Amino acid sequence: MPWRLLRFALSNKHPEPRMFTRHDTLKPAYDVVIIGGGGHGLAAAYYLARDHGITNVCVLEKGYLGGGNTGRNTTIIRSNYLTPEGVKFYDESVRLWQDLSTDFDLNLFYSNRGHFTLAHTDAALRTSRWRAEVNKHFGIESEVVGPEAVKKAAPMIDLSCGGHAPILGALYHAPGAVARHDAVAWGYGRGADLRGVEIHQRTEVLGIDVVGGKVTGVRTNRGNIATGKVLCAVAGSTPRVLDMVGIRSPIYVHPLQAMVSEPVKPWLDPILVSGSLHVYISQSARGELVMGASLDPYEVQSTRSTFDFPEGLSAHMLDMFPFLSNVKVMRQWAGMADMTPDFAPIMGRTPVEGFYLDGGWGTWGFKATPVCGKTMSYTVANDRNHDLITGFTLDRFRNFELTGEKGAASVGH
Amino acid sequence: MTCPVNGPRAISEFAYGGEIRPMPDPTTCSDDAWADYVFNRNGSPGVKREWWCHTPSNTWFVAERDTARDVIVRTYLYAGDS
Amino acid sequence: MSAIAFENVSRTPRAGVKGPGAAAWIAALDLPVPRAPNSWLPLPGGLIARLGLTEFLVEGSEAAKLAAPLSPGVYPVLRQDTALVLHGARLNELLLETCSVDFRALNLSTRPVVLTSMAGVGVTVIPGEGGGMPCCRIWCDSTYGEWFVETLTGVAGELEQPGHPCNQGVTA
Ligand SMILES: Cc1cc2nc3c(=O)[nH]c(=O)nc-3n(C[C@H](O)[C@H](O)[C@H](O)COP(=O)(O)OP(=O)(O)OC[C@H]3O[C@@H](n4cnc5c(N)ncnc54)[C@H](O)[C@@H]3O)c2cc1C
Repeated sequence: MPWRLLRFALSNKHPEPRMFTRHDTLKPAYDVVIIGGGGHGLAAAYYLARDHGITNVCVLEKGYLGGGNTGRNTTIIRSNYLTPEGVKFYDESVRLWQDLSTDFDLNLFYSNRGHFTLAHTDAALRTSRWRAEVNKHFGIESEVVGPEAVKKAAPMIDLSCGGHAPILGALYHAPGAVARHDAVAWGYGRGADLRGVEIHQRTEVLGIDVVGGKVTGVRTNRGNIATGKVLCAVAGSTPRVLDMVGIRSPIYVHPLQAMVSEPVKPWLDPILVSGSLHVYISQSARGELVMGASLDPYEVQSTRSTFDFPEGLSAHMLDMFPFLSNVKVMRQWAGMADMTPDFAPIMGRTPVEGFYLDGGWGTWGFKATPVCGKTMSYTVANDRNHDLITGFTLDRFRNFELTGEKGAASVGH
Repeated sequence: MTCPVNGPRAISEFAYGGEIRPMPDPTTCSDDAWADYVFNRNGSPGVKREWWCHTPSNTWFVAERDTARDVIVRTYLYAGDS
Repeated sequence: MSAIAFENVSRTPRAGVKGPGAAAWIAALDLPVPRAPNSWLPLPGGLIARLGLTEFLVEGSEAAKLAAPLSPGVYPVLRQDTALVLHGARLNELLLETCSVDFRALNLSTRPVVLTSMAGVGVTVIPGEGGGMPCCRIWCDSTYGEWFVETLTGVAGELEQPGHPCNQGVTA
C-alpha cells in the first residue's frame, strides 16, 4: 500500500483537493454558458480559460460528467477520413491527443494501435485506395495493404470470414489509437476547474431566452442565468435544445450500441473495422474486447439496449474470429447518436446571435474532442468561425453544399 | 410490432421508412422551403407518424410510435391503400 | 431414413402479379381468387396464393395464364424463387428453431399463407399435412437460395443427433 493512502485513513477531512470544486449555487450571470458536460463541452471550457482568458464560464450538465456519449463510446481515434475538410480537422485532433496526458498531468491511456478497415469486396477496396490517396495528399499515414498484412497483425483472424466474405485487403492507418474515455472528460474538467470555470452537475437547461434574435439567458432547474453566449454541446439531445431557440436542423437521433466481453489475455493489438460485416473490435488495456456495430435502424431518443444487437454482432464477430465462441459478453449499452445526412458534424455560429452549436457528432465525435474544444472556444471567444470548421456550418444544407463524409464513417466508430 | 395485414411479428421483420412528411410543391415553393423539406428533420422525441414496411410481404403501413420510449402506439394501413 | 425430407421444386412454373386491379384481372382469367389476404386455393396441378391484400402467386401449369396482357393497376412480379417442399415428423421443430411464427397454432382448414422470416431470410410458407406428417412449401428469393437450403439442412441434421434436446425421450 502506498504511504500516501494512510493520510486518508488518519485524517477527518479529505486530505487532498477534490477532483472538482463544488459550487452550491449558480451565479446570476456568466460570460459564457456551456450546455453539456461531455468531452466536447468540457474541452471548450478548458481552452476558453487557457487560450482565451475567458474564465467567467459555467458548464451545465443535467446528469454527471461524461455520462453521455463521452462515457459510452468505443474510443477509436483516427484521421483517415474521405473529404479534405474531414482529414485536416481530424488530423489536428490526433496531434492534440498525443500530448494531452502531459498537458493534464493525468494518464489518458492513449494507446497507439494501428487501425485496419477491412475490405471484403472490390468496391470497398477501390474506396480504400481513394481514401489512401486523399489521406497521403494531406500527409497522413494511410495505405492499402493485402490480406497477409492483416493476418500478420491479427494472427487469429479467419481471412475467409467463414467463407461468406473473404478479406481482399485493408486500409491501414498506423496512427489509429484508443484512449480512456472518462479520463478525457475528467482531465478537461479538472483543467477548466483549476482555471476558474464552474462545473454544475445535475443542472438541466430547460429553456433559452432569445430577444431580438440574440441570446440573453438560460433557464435551468436550479434557476435562471443571464448570458450573451451559449455553446450547445449535447450530442443526442441537440434537437431538443435547438427547439428551445427555434432552429431547425437535419439532425436525427438513432441509438448506437456497443458491448464488451469478459477480460481475456492480450491477443489483439490493432483496431479492426469491417464495413461489410458492420462490426469493429479492439482490445482494451484491461483485456476486454470492445465491440460495436452500425446504428440501430430506426429513431429512438433513449439509451435502451436490444437483444438483437449482441446476437447479430456476435454472429459477424465469429465469422472473423471463430475461436471467440466460448468468450462471454459482459455488458452492453447504448448511446444516442446525433446523425447528419452527410456524416459530417454541424459546428459554429448559427442564425441566433450568441448561440453556438457543436453537434451532429453521431458515431464519430470522441476522436474530435480536443479539436472541437479548440475550434469552438475560438469561435465563441471571437464570434467568428474558426478556419478548420467552415466546411461544417449549419447553412451548408440550405445552400445544398454537403460535405459528404459518408464513405468514411458509415459504421459507428 | 403488429403489421395490419400479417399480424404481430418480431421487429427484425420490419424496415423503418422515416417520419411521414408532406412534400411541398417543388415547382412553386422557394429554395429555402425545398431545402428545409429535403434536409431538416423533427429530431426531438415525441409520438410520431412513421412509415414502416413488413419486409417478407413488402407491406407498407403507418405506425404511431413514441420515439422517447420506443413504444408503438398503433399501426394501420395508409388511407388510400386498398 | 432422414427425419425431414427436402425437395427442391424451384423449376415448377410460377408467375406473379400485384396492384389494385390484380384481383379483378385474375378473376377475368377464370382463375379462382382466394378471398382472404394470406390464403390459398388449389388449382389443377398447382395452387394460387394471395400474398397480403393485392398480390398473387400462381404455381403449376396454370401459371401460363398470367402471360395475358395486363390491364391498368396490375403489375408483373418477377418470380425467381427458390422453392422447397419439406416433409417429415420433425418439421415443426425445424420451423420453431428457425422462425418465430408458431405454425402449429394455425388452422390448416383456412388454408393460411404465412409471410415471415426464417433463418433471417424473408419467406412465404404454406403449411400442410401429408401421410399423417407435417409438410410445407417455402419460397424465398433465389439469391439467398443456396445459403438458405444449406442452413436448413444443417439445422435439420442437428435435430437428428441423439444428444439434441428434442430427441430426449424419443431415443429412449
Ligand atoms: C456506442 C458508441 C460508440 C462510439 N464510438 C466512437 C469511437 O470509437 N470513436 C469516436 O470518435 N466516436 C465514437 N462515438 C461518438 C462519440 O461518443 C460522441 O460523438 C462524443 O462522445 C460526443 O461528445 P459530446 O461531449 O459532444 O457529447 P456527450 O458526451 O453525450 O455529452 C453531452 C452531455 O450533455 C448533457 N445534456 C443533454 N441535454 C442537456 C440539457 N438540456 N441540460 C444540461 N445538460 C444536458 C448530457 O447529459 C451529456 O452528458 C461513439 C458513440 C457511441 C454511442
